[in-house]
Amino acid sequence: MTNIVNPNQLVDSASDFHKINSRENAIDIKNVTVSFNGSKGTFTAVKDISLEVKKGEIVALIGHSGCGKSTLMNTISGMVTPSSGEVIANGNIVKGPGPDRGIVFQNYSLLPWMSVYKNIYEAVDSVLKDKTSAEKHAVVDHYIQMVNLTPHKDKLPGQLSGGMKQRVAIARAFAINPSILLLDEPFGALDALTKGSMHIELLKLWNLDNRNKTIVMVTHDIEEAIFLADKVVVMNNGPAATIKKIVDIKLPRPRNKKDITHDPEYISVHDELLSLLFDKFSIED
Amino acid sequence: MKSISIKEIATNVAYFLASMAILLGLWQLISVITKAEIPNPASTWIVFKELIADPFYDYGPNDKGIGIQLFSSLGRVSTGFALGSLIAIPMGLLMGSTKIGMNLLNPIVQILRPVSPLAWFPLGLLAFKASDGATIFIIAITSLWPTVINTAFGVSSIPDDHKNVGKAFGFSKWKYLTKIMLPFALPHIITGLRLSIGIAWVVIVAGEMLSGGVGIGFFVWDSWNGLSLERILVAILIIGTVGLLFDKAFNALQNAFTWEKK
Repeated sequence: MTNIVNPNQLVDSASDFHKINSRENAIDIKNVTVSFNGSKGTFTAVKDISLEVKKGEIVALIGHSGCGKSTLMNTISGMVTPSSGEVIANGNIVKGPGPDRGIVFQNYSLLPWMSVYKNIYEAVDSVLKDKTSAEKHAVVDHYIQMVNLTPHKDKLPGQLSGGMKQRVAIARAFAINPSILLLDEPFGALDALTKGSMHIELLKLWNLDNRNKTIVMVTHDIEEAIFLADKVVVMNNGPAATIKKIVDIKLPRPRNKKDITHDPEYISVHDELLSLLFDKFSIED
Repeated sequence: MKSISIKEIATNVAYFLASMAILLGLWQLISVITKAEIPNPASTWIVFKELIADPFYDYGPNDKGIGIQLFSSLGRVSTGFALGSLIAIPMGLLMGSTKIGMNLLNPIVQILRPVSPLAWFPLGLLAFKASDGATIFIIAITSLWPTVINTAFGVSSIPDDHKNVGKAFGFSKWKYLTKIMLPFALPHIITGLRLSIGIAWVVIVAGEMLSGGVGIGFFVWDSWNGLSLERILVAILIIGTVGLLFDKAFNALQNAFTWEKK
């Protein structure tokens, strides 16, 4: 691994977290094109995309299914290598997955033969190599507590509900203290109630760390994107998807889920995103 | 774990007993047709009772109780099977985890797998200068293939989801092996071991017929020389029962290590 980051060095600019524009880029996507060679020839998923994400920003990638938003995010995680262009994360060119970028997978990706506790512990043990065993266990306990899973820590993933698995995956990603968090449709499979409380949990965790973590999330939920993000990246439909528009969300934080829906800013952004995503609003008959 | 109801157990026992009744019926029929040249179940039963009355007597090298014969065979099978598995599991892991390993080792597996244990025996004698070593050798080399193949299959079918966990959290090779590869492949490995122990148990009889000395295979051959067909039939029943128990034991092991959808 070339880019192992000492977790203690990550929280270094707590004093200027509010001056987001003065911050350095956490992620720099430069002219990235991703093509796959399939049986029917080459398929280009995303084409010539450039995007900058500042440290501490929450960015939502939004678009229709199959528009390449997951592919774009996987170039940041290092799971997908761009065919051309490059991605720079924390100052290093991304060559593969690394523990400075925590990932919450779309389908949770918990190891089914390990308890909740072990699933998180193995990740912590692998990434936080310098810590003593007691410190590692303390970290795991802390994050399990944070997502309210302490009573369930000895259960196997197969015994958990979707929302609980999601919380384990989030706790696992946070526990390794990455400076960048990548969430691939993290709340897609959850019911509206659980989703709402997970949004709050996510922001709580982000706040607890002085809003220093950069979060990139893929979603197709407009309300979710507005509530969570500083910046919503709307993507065109694939193949060869590009960025249609980047919409800034200027709603002040902390945001209140109930109140912001009446905010004129919220309403106008919501309308804008809707019209970017859907060309037609009514069925012509 | 699903609980098995008493009714289910009763049904299973009833089927087993019915199955045994068919076997005994056929046996009796064959005995009648061959005009008792093949002993019938009743006369075999008498010999069986004699044999197990004192299973561990030892009157010198050519006259030992059936218990000693059986345990001597079990010892050889365990040693051969253990040695075979110690080679087979790492070999399967290597084949399943790398394309190079698969391409290099698979032709070897395919060529050596169908070779009869009897063909290996002279090589074993040459190598170990002892019939005991040769028997263990042929058990090891003929029983390891199902474990190799099943382990390789298990490892090569690890889902990307699990692999990605290892990648995303920077698992070391050792952690990947012990926390992802082995746990995922374990049910497959046990399936392989189950098939392998079956083969090992088949091979032991042939091996001991050639090697002589002590063992259930030698017992069969010795009984043939003594023209006691009843003793041969008793040995066949014991061999079959032990094979069944092996299979049940590995089946239980397999159920214990299946983590999916618990």
